[in-house]
Amino acid sequence: MAVETMTLEVAQATAVGFKAIGAGLAVGLAGMGTGLAQLGIGGAAVGATAENKDMFGLALLFTVIPETVVIFGLVVALLLLF
Amino acid sequence: MFEPQTMSKLLIAASKDQLEAVVRELYRHNLFHIEDFVESDPKGLEGCKIGMPLPGASESSSDLVRIRSIENTYGVSSKSMDADETKISTSAVKKRIDSELLTIEKDASALSCEKISLENMIRDYETRITELKPFTVFPTNLADLKGFDNFVVFAGLVSVPVSLGVPNEMFIGAYEKSNLLIAVVSRADAAVAERELLEAGFQPIPIPDGNETAGYLTIDYTKKITELKTKLEDVSERIITQSKNNAAFLVACDELLTAEVERAQAPLRFATTQETFVAEGWVPADTVAQLMADLQKVTGDKIFISEVEFDPVEEAVPVEYHNPDFSKPTEMLMDIYARPKYKEFDPTILVSIVFPIFFGFIVGDVGYGIIILALSLYLRKFIKEGAGKELLVVLRNASVSSIIFGLIYSEALGFALPWSPIGINRHLNIGSHASGAAPDAVLMLVLTAWIGILHITLGRALHMYNAHRMMKPDRHRSKVIFGQFGWILVLWGILLVLWSMFAMPLMPDFSGFPAILAGFNAVGIAGAVLLLVGIIGIGQDSLLELMELPTVISHVLSYTRLAAVGLSSVAIAMVTNFIAIELIIEPQMASLSVVGVILILIGVVVFLIGHTLNLALGVLGGALHSIRLHYVEFFTKFYTGGGKKYEPFGKLRKFTEE
Repeated sequence: MAVETMTLEVAQATAVGFKAIGAGLAVGLAGMGTGLAQLGIGGAAVGATAENKDMFGLALLFTVIPETVVIFGLVVALLLLF
Repeated sequence: MFEPQTMSKLLIAASKDQLEAVVRELYRHNLFHIEDFVESDPKGLEGCKIGMPLPGASESSSDLVRIRSIENTYGVSSKSMDADETKISTSAVKKRIDSELLTIEKDASALSCEKISLENMIRDYETRITELKPFTVFPTNLADLKGFDNFVVFAGLVSVPVSLGVPNEMFIGAYEKSNLLIAVVSRADAAVAERELLEAGFQPIPIPDGNETAGYLTIDYTKKITELKTKLEDVSERIITQSKNNAAFLVACDELLTAEVERAQAPLRFATTQETFVAEGWVPADTVAQLMADLQKVTGDKIFISEVEFDPVEEAVPVEYHNPDFSKPTEMLMDIYARPKYKEFDPTILVSIVFPIFFGFIVGDVGYGIIILALSLYLRKFIKEGAGKELLVVLRNASVSSIIFGLIYSEALGFALPWSPIGINRHLNIGSHASGAAPDAVLMLVLTAWIGILHITLGRALHMYNAHRMMKPDRHRSKVIFGQFGWILVLWGILLVLWSMFAMPLMPDFSGFPAILAGFNAVGIAGAVLLLVGIIGIGQDSLLELMELPTVISHVLSYTRLAAVGLSSVAIAMVTNFIAIELIIEPQMASLSVVGVILILIGVVVFLIGHTLNLALGVLGGALHSIRLHYVEFFTKFYTGGGKKYEPFGKLRKFTEE
């Protein structure tokens, strides 16, 4: 059985592997969340900017608000890896 | 510094015979922001009417329209032209308008007509060729299909050949993925034949005119198109020559006539009575004396000018930035968000210093820095005016900052420089160059959180300063100020609690003190008290604001993007190097062969593409994240903006002089 053959090295390597998977999930899922959030905002922002160029600053501001989510994911990933 | 240009409100009144002289002088100075006179405004001047345009307005306008149309034909625009060393005098321009404009206009319109008619003819032939295309499989003269009295000809496309139930003469030829069908039936059977054809999926197409076979006609039309295109090229060349000959004169005319039209229309914005006019407007305070003196000189002292008192907060005072030269380009970034209000704290200087630092902190690579620097300097040759030029200057400053950070991080295109990183190590363990030491990710995260804490505290403090300056000294103002102070207390209270519980790098460690109450030590209790007082402070200003409490943490953590985005950019650069050099190029270099040389070339391409993409990502990411931290995390703490842009009446002459 796997449990009986698991030496310390194997356990450590597995732990590193799980950390890497966790880091990947953190960035990937957070990225999807950000993408979904920016989908609607971005579409509306482009529309508003096309109607009125002065909206650009505000539109950009609204669009980048959900970006924080993926940054949190990235930070968690970095903390996991290092 | 830190606030917009101080403005003065001027009221100018004089008799109407001075109108033209005054308008001319105001236009020349390019300082007076006219406050439009509104007849129905109850607070405005009583019994006054909007003025009439100066004489000559309609002639100048119609000349201007003619000039603009010629400029359009020749593709001349004053924006794309550099000012000449020698400017043309206005009298010379006027003389030339009288003597030459008609000829130039005739030439231009003749050329433009010729060009349009040639283009139309080409388009016409091209349409005919498209129409002929299906009939190229039909080998007989097209004229034979027309002009019958007793027969009807059907022509069109069908997917599969059909046979009709009525007597007919039929041609079927394969055309592309379909078939060209031409059927001749007697007029009596036409209705039956048509129904049968339509049931078979027949799509009728018109039979083109022409007394030849379709193939012959196509060749003939193609030949004609080639001839027309040669003629068109000739016309385009003549247009370019004409445009070169006349460009300088045209932009000078444009400038002169625009000025005349704008001057002539100025009285429409003034208040007038039977004999006098009154103009209200804004000028920068330090130019008032000069402007007054000059106006008095041109009118021979027959003018009344006075500085009017105004409420700097209530009135919509036009706003002009007042910044040192190095901060001027950053005003573009401010305008994208909003121009500050008059009397509001103007953060342009802060942005102009902090933005490049953030950008450099993220990109932090000597190689990328030098490429961005070169790009921003090179592109200035093409972008000479407006926001684009300012953006390039901002980018230049940012690139210098990333070179400096690159020297600190010891990075150039993802390679290590011959010294160890100073303070912060961003080198990842990728490939054989791995040093073994992991990057200081945690150190960077804490450092960037510190940047966030200080930046946000500064933002809140600036809100207190703004409230102090812009609001009336009453209870409401004290509430706002204490509310903002509450936010600062909450932030630092949370920090104290954290410090009392955990030991973190780069942060003070108070976790060693003995616990006094409920597991908290003295520092923790102090932090909790600050937190509580802060929450009360925020709540007394606005209860709804309490909902925003989590942003204290999320906004500070948002600054960790400076570390995270930077590290990901380093990772891409190092992985590119690893793939291109260690995986592709180096093994081939060991034993060269023909295939090896090709692989090395592929490796070089991978290297170039990888770094180009990463550079684009770095510039976009570096700029967008840095400016976002300003717009979202920093400005929302204190900055409202929405000031009216200062647009002085007049124009600086570029091509003409008096």
